[in-house]
Amino acid sequence: MSTDVGRETLTRPIQAPSKRYVGALLAALAGIGVWLFFYYQQLSNGLIVTNLADWGSGGGVPWGLYIGAFIWWVGIAHGGIILSAAVRLLGMDTYQPVARMAELLTIAALTCAGLYIMIHVGRPDRLVTSVVPAWPTRVQWSPLMWDVTVITAYFVLTATYLLLTIRYDIHRLRDRLPDTFEPLYKALMLGYSEKEDQVVERMVWWLAFAIIIMAPLLLHGGVIPWLFALLPSMAGWAGGVQGPSFLSIALTSAVSGIIIIAAAFRYVYDWEELIPDQVFYGLSKWLGFFALLFLWLQLQQVMTGIFAAPTTLQHATEVKLSTPVYWVAIGLVGLGLLYIFASALKASLFSIPRIVAVSFLVLVGTLIEKTLFVVEGLQHAHFALYDGVPGHYIPSPVELSSILGAVGIVVLFFLVVSKVIPVVELHAIQDHHDDAEATEVSD
Amino acid sequence: MPDEDKTDQTTSFSEDETRRMERVLDDTEYDTELGVEMAKDAQRVAAGELGEAEFYRQYHEDILEEFGEDDRELNGLLDDVGNVDAGDGEGVGDKLQALADEKDLSRREVMKKGGAAVAALSIFASAGENRAASAEGEGGDEYDGTRWGMTINLNNCDGCLACMVACDQEHKLSGGANWMYVFTYEDDHQDDENFLVRPCQHCTDSPCTKVCPVGARHTREQDGLVLTDYEICIGCRYCEVSCPYGVNYFQWGEPDHPQSEIPESQSQDERGRWVGARPPEGVMGKCTFCVDRQDGKMGDDKIGTTACEEACAMDAIHFGDLNDPESAPNTHLEQYKDEQENDMTFQNRKEHTVSTFQLMEERGTDPNVRYVGNEPSQDAEQVEGPVSYEDVGLVDDRKEEVLDNGAMANQEGGEEA
Repeated sequence: MSTDVGRETLTRPIQAPSKRYVGALLAALAGIGVWLFFYYQQLSNGLIVTNLADWGSGGGVPWGLYIGAFIWWVGIAHGGIILSAAVRLLGMDTYQPVARMAELLTIAALTCAGLYIMIHVGRPDRLVTSVVPAWPTRVQWSPLMWDVTVITAYFVLTATYLLLTIRYDIHRLRDRLPDTFEPLYKALMLGYSEKEDQVVERMVWWLAFAIIIMAPLLLHGGVIPWLFALLPSMAGWAGGVQGPSFLSIALTSAVSGIIIIAAAFRYVYDWEELIPDQVFYGLSKWLGFFALLFLWLQLQQVMTGIFAAPTTLQHATEVKLSTPVYWVAIGLVGLGLLYIFASALKASLFSIPRIVAVSFLVLVGTLIEKTLFVVEGLQHAHFALYDGVPGHYIPSPVELSSILGAVGIVVLFFLVVSKVIPVVELHAIQDHHDDAEATEVSD
Repeated sequence: MPDEDKTDQTTSFSEDETRRMERVLDDTEYDTELGVEMAKDAQRVAAGELGEAEFYRQYHEDILEEFGEDDRELNGLLDDVGNVDAGDGEGVGDKLQALADEKDLSRREVMKKGGAAVAALSIFASAGENRAASAEGEGGDEYDGTRWGMTINLNNCDGCLACMVACDQEHKLSGGANWMYVFTYEDDHQDDENFLVRPCQHCTDSPCTKVCPVGARHTREQDGLVLTDYEICIGCRYCEVSCPYGVNYFQWGEPDHPQSEIPESQSQDERGRWVGARPPEGVMGKCTFCVDRQDGKMGDDKIGTTACEEACAMDAIHFGDLNDPESAPNTHLEQYKDEQENDMTFQNRKEHTVSTFQLMEERGTDPNVRYVGNEPSQDAEQVEGPVSYEDVGLVDDRKEEVLDNGAMANQEGGEEA
């Protein structure tokens, strides 16, 4: 009985759109619209409409919010799939109800990361014509090409992972899915038979294994920080701590993102049973742990940067410490951490709206930190003779609007996908079955 | 930090040649180390220091192991090498060229087919014999023995900014894109005002070419110029971010001078790549060491000169082939040293008192610009010079004076559209 109720619950988002759904859709489209309006200006006038400029005598920074946001989105993309892979590999079944949302978040966030590369470059039209022919010879040299390669591989892995696991669900839930998308389901289910389930289970396990190795070692603990860590010209960037530091920030952002999305679905579709409090409580502890790592790695950098550092590094660190917005970033993450610790000690302090608010603030903090890292790194070059160094940088409206657009894209993505496929795995209610019955009894 | 002797090198196995060699060999599937060793010994053969038979014996086994017995071209080549009399005047390079002609292959193809060893032989043999193979109308991209560079004598500079103006005009640069830049600075341990003249350093080991994801920023093999292919560049600005010297200027908006003002001969280099004059919108630009002049596009008498050098009335900028002992940068340095004699009555003194340096040598970029004078310290501060940038119609702070206004103007334009 409960499984049947579970299936009804699971496919609830797929039913006819509510007013709230339409409202969210319009908001997402509005966000994207605002950004497109501004982006059109950038396309027609060039990057001059940003507040970027040349470092050195040019008095500015050539990389800014676009690159900061790029790192931030890749970071968010991480956790999603790491969490999902951990559910599968380590049997963390508690989090199974949010595993697919996490996978979807990975796809959406990687798309946004790609979008940021596109809007960052001066000649987006050449991204295919220049990058593809250059790949074979440049991939052994350019860290940026490493990024393109690893992110593409990561995207393919995640998409494959998602596709394989979806087939199982569509097959079993087909009668509850709308006929409008019949051709799509047919395409997704091409050649499916129940015999494949076991094989797919193994395949997915290996994919999860690959992802969990690749993400920390190669992606956010690898190629993304290496974009900066390998450049000795900029004191604030170079060094081995960037890998761990980036990874900690990525995981912090990612868990925050999952908390917000899971809470949104739970709220809108009354999924209290499907995604119980316990999931959020557990996620909040992970968030606390990653936030602690993040702050600890900041401390490492600050200490080594001010005690007896080489002049330029010392200067970069001192300026960072005297930048108010740095303390805003650290403060937001620090406050989140305090709340999570407090609620771990006293459970009554914990509530879902509060942890959602904390997650939101943490995401703001990590975005600020990432952008600041990019900008301040450039402002304190070893070659500091220029009067224009340090230059100043405040993102222009064109740049800021991209955040609105990217968030709009993620929201739109979830709105659309949730109408087509179940955003919670069938496995979640199958495994969840016993627990659900228990809760029902207690109800 | 002044380093007096390092910059005088013109020997054949200099580090940059070895590095250049390694770069070529890294692109092949064969053993780089073996290739480099062979190349060096091949050059010794060419110089008559090592017998060719000895050379053959030394590498025969390694070659067999690396390339297999069936590589007839290679074995044929080595047989030839083995059979050549030391006195007949024919070097390894001739043999190679003959092989290339016979098979109707370009030198590049021979290099690919024969792999590391042949590539090594080809390049070093020709370098050893001082033959500029690719310069003879082929328009190829192989090292021809030239290494363009500068000696900038800061002691002579008076900060008139004429070099900046000349560069700006010749390359039709947009406001604030100061490919050539002159600092006036004050420093703790230097008197009065000092100058630092900063073109692109055209590093032998340039970070910008390493990080470029699409190979748009590249080193021209034939003469070591570091250039940007405006037709490939995607405008990611990673080169700018990786450059220790801040010599890159992105084209943020529409260029001040339309392409129609720039003759094609100035834009296209002799390989037919668009690397000269100012960049188009959305693409990176920087000092090219006047590549159009070096390719003879502005007349033969301009080869080996730059716009900044010509404009300098103080004899501070000396451009030329660093590999040629008779070139301007080398002769100026020698003459200048001779003029600054040291008091040799004290023991262990050098013959001259000239301080030279490469900018931020410790970065390991091995610039092809070397300076005479004192290097600014970390405490140096830029001050207003005797001639202000404004006075000569140049913009210093590009962001404040050009981009911020330009952005506003452009935004209005965008809204109308």
